[in-house]
Amino acid sequence: MSTDTTALQTANTAGASRPHLLRHLARDPLALIALIFLVLIVVAAILAPVLAPFDPYDTNLRMRLRPPGGDHLLGTDTQGRDLLTRLLYGARTTLALGFASIVVGSLIGTSIGLAAAFYRRLEGPLMRLVDILLSFPSILFGLALAAMLGVGMDSLVIALGLSAAPPIARVARATAASVMQAEYMDAGRVIGLSDSALIRRYLLRNCAAPIVVYCSLQFGETILLAAALGFLGLGLQPPTAELGSIAAEGRSFIFLAPHVSTAASLLIFMIVLSCNLLGDAFRDLTDPKLQR
Amino acid sequence: MGMIGKRAAGCMLSLALATTAAMAQEPDTAVVLRISDADRYDPQRSTALAAAEILYMVGETLVTLDHDLKTLRPGLAERWEVSADGLTYTFHLRRDVSFCDAKPFTAKAVVGTMDRWLNPDFPGVSKWKAGKVESVKALDDYTVEYKLKEPYSELLYQMTQFNFIIIDPDQATALKDDFGVAAFNGTGAFCFQSWTPRTQTVLTRHEGYRWGPSFMTNPGPAEVAKIVWKIVPEEATLAAALQTGEGDVSFAVPAWAISQLQATPSIQLLRPEAGFRTHYVGMKITRPDLGDKRVREALSLAIDQSAIADAIFFGEAEAAKSYYSEAARDFNPDMKLDAFGYDPEKAKALLDEAGWVSKDGGVRMKDGKPLSLIFYGFTGDSDKQMAETIQGDLRKIGVDLKVELYDPTIVWGKLKTQDFDLYQMSYPYLSAGDAMNLYFLSSNMPTPNRMNWNDPKTDQLIDAGNRATSAEARFAAFAEAGAIIHDAVLWKPLVNEKLVVVAGSRVAPFKPHGISGAPLYNGLDLKLAK
Repeated sequence: MSTDTTALQTANTAGASRPHLLRHLARDPLALIALIFLVLIVVAAILAPVLAPFDPYDTNLRMRLRPPGGDHLLGTDTQGRDLLTRLLYGARTTLALGFASIVVGSLIGTSIGLAAAFYRRLEGPLMRLVDILLSFPSILFGLALAAMLGVGMDSLVIALGLSAAPPIARVARATAASVMQAEYMDAGRVIGLSDSALIRRYLLRNCAAPIVVYCSLQFGETILLAAALGFLGLGLQPPTAELGSIAAEGRSFIFLAPHVSTAASLLIFMIVLSCNLLGDAFRDLTDPKLQR
Repeated sequence: MGMIGKRAAGCMLSLALATTAAMAQEPDTAVVLRISDADRYDPQRSTALAAAEILYMVGETLVTLDHDLKTLRPGLAERWEVSADGLTYTFHLRRDVSFCDAKPFTAKAVVGTMDRWLNPDFPGVSKWKAGKVESVKALDDYTVEYKLKEPYSELLYQMTQFNFIIIDPDQATALKDDFGVAAFNGTGAFCFQSWTPRTQTVLTRHEGYRWGPSFMTNPGPAEVAKIVWKIVPEEATLAAALQTGEGDVSFAVPAWAISQLQATPSIQLLRPEAGFRTHYVGMKITRPDLGDKRVREALSLAIDQSAIADAIFFGEAEAAKSYYSEAARDFNPDMKLDAFGYDPEKAKALLDEAGWVSKDGGVRMKDGKPLSLIFYGFTGDSDKQMAETIQGDLRKIGVDLKVELYDPTIVWGKLKTQDFDLYQMSYPYLSAGDAMNLYFLSSNMPTPNRMNWNDPKTDQLIDAGNRATSAEARFAAFAEAGAIIHDAVLWKPLVNEKLVVVAGSRVAPFKPHGISGAPLYNGLDLKLAK
């Protein structure tokens, strides 16, 4: 985590152009595979209602825990629902949850970070608050928030977003602090721009790239946290398919029908691994020190 | 899954845990495994079944119940008389009984136990089980007179429950809040040696014990010198620990593991003759959409309880057709139970008739409002599966069920509210009358009468059953009340759980007792092969 942050602090805030990005990815086959996999998963998740071979909510106890093969490509789950269908819908929920949470988290984190950098007297209190929040492991923080806010999509997004916000705030402040030194900031002030215009037009735009890159790195972690909350029963209520809760559901039958937990866990693993590989590639790309 | 599959799964299970190494098996020490511990081991202060498991071994009741759960047998009282008006019970106590500390058992202990329990300043639980008590007096050292203000036909049956276990009142006075925590002096076949909460409870044989009830094979002293009750909070670990010999006996084995354990030659499955615990879905009739009996009947007919019994309980439960088991005392065999079968077509017709229609096969609507109901349940593994199954079954007849599952620590508070339509849980009972007293009296609203069943006729019949002084009158009253509540479709009965005791190879076969929560009962028949 700390190396990411320092790398980003020195990042080239101008960001990378698109052809540069593709060329870089072509040189990094692992990242390319990760990208292709993620795109496929996202497309499959979006198109789940079209692609899914069965109704994700159609229970049939007499058909439960069937092994993979036959009509049900990946077998059936504890309620006799098609596991492939459940996983498609589960990926849909989990990805949407991760995406919404990272958006909420980046909004909160960026606001705190920019405010701390722009208004120097706020820096102390705001960043100490962030330090306090960072001292909790995000899983503990997420668990406590989810338990406090109760179940439901909204509270889950808030809990996950708040857990993701502190590291984003730190990155945003570090980037913004270096931008604050730039001459165009002084120039903007001289021509009489208001604080809000300065923040929006100069500060935010010049900080955006590293923050976005950092958020893409955090995306994988948020998904993992979302799945963990689902696994621990603090996720969404049934019958919503969610990767973490599918893995939890299958846990009791791990000896009897290992396919349920295995498939869901593998999918979570692949998504998070892809996110991390891609995030690393982005970081390499925006870090001049690592440029080949 | 075929036999080979079962064996393979069984082997996997044992392999998984074989590496954790079996604890050294001590001769003459039986290790019982269970999932959860009790809050304390004070019979008058705990409602936990986990407390009953141990209290029945270290203490005893005046009256006991035979394996059929219907026939009363002598316990600490060798005989008793009931006056013609049903108000005075005279118990004649055994003269050969002593506590673990060798103090002789006398009428003083009985009076002291009851006085402490029923004292309004004492935080005792389940006091209603004692009836409306006028006084409990010692007529002499071995005779107790139990006087009621009004007749209470269930009294002798209730007296077999663990809340009526006779304590040593002097010890309770001396230890105060530590009673049943630091020590417990009882007359049981075992003596309470130590308790390490959430880890284990150790009991040692009561050497002078000779007064076991007639339905036990062994009158005493106990066969094993020591019983260690170990807590293993994880279900799969518990199942595997039985296979590796780390534990000898358990009745907390999850249903999915039982079929696998069955394939293990060294494991024996023992079942009690009777035992009453029913899982059900309750319906709150004061909610806007559930006032219509046709809707309640449709919900009931849509849920396939035999699939639940076969799949979720792996056959370790039987589909229930009534609120309490047909084998329970005062069950009325003439009740009409058609509303509790599985007939989704009839369910759809009933909803159509009630005005709830669906044009596109989706959620049914009436006056522009969807048939969407709120369901409260527990977060436990099989409870969650049952909730999802019920949700899936109701979806098939066009009912949208919003499932909200809560942790055991908050669910009881949630269930006191009026904010839900359906809820699901299980309950143990002694008899039809016991079940009705608990759930269907208007005075028990809002909980446990969460259905808000407020019917003067039911109240009057249950009261008549309680006051009855003959078995015939009691049956007549409870049978009629049973017919009324079943006719109203207030619950959907799901399954009657079958209790299974799983024992390892060291344990000699014995007959478990079906009394709620304590199949090892007093532990007299638990014997280890040499």
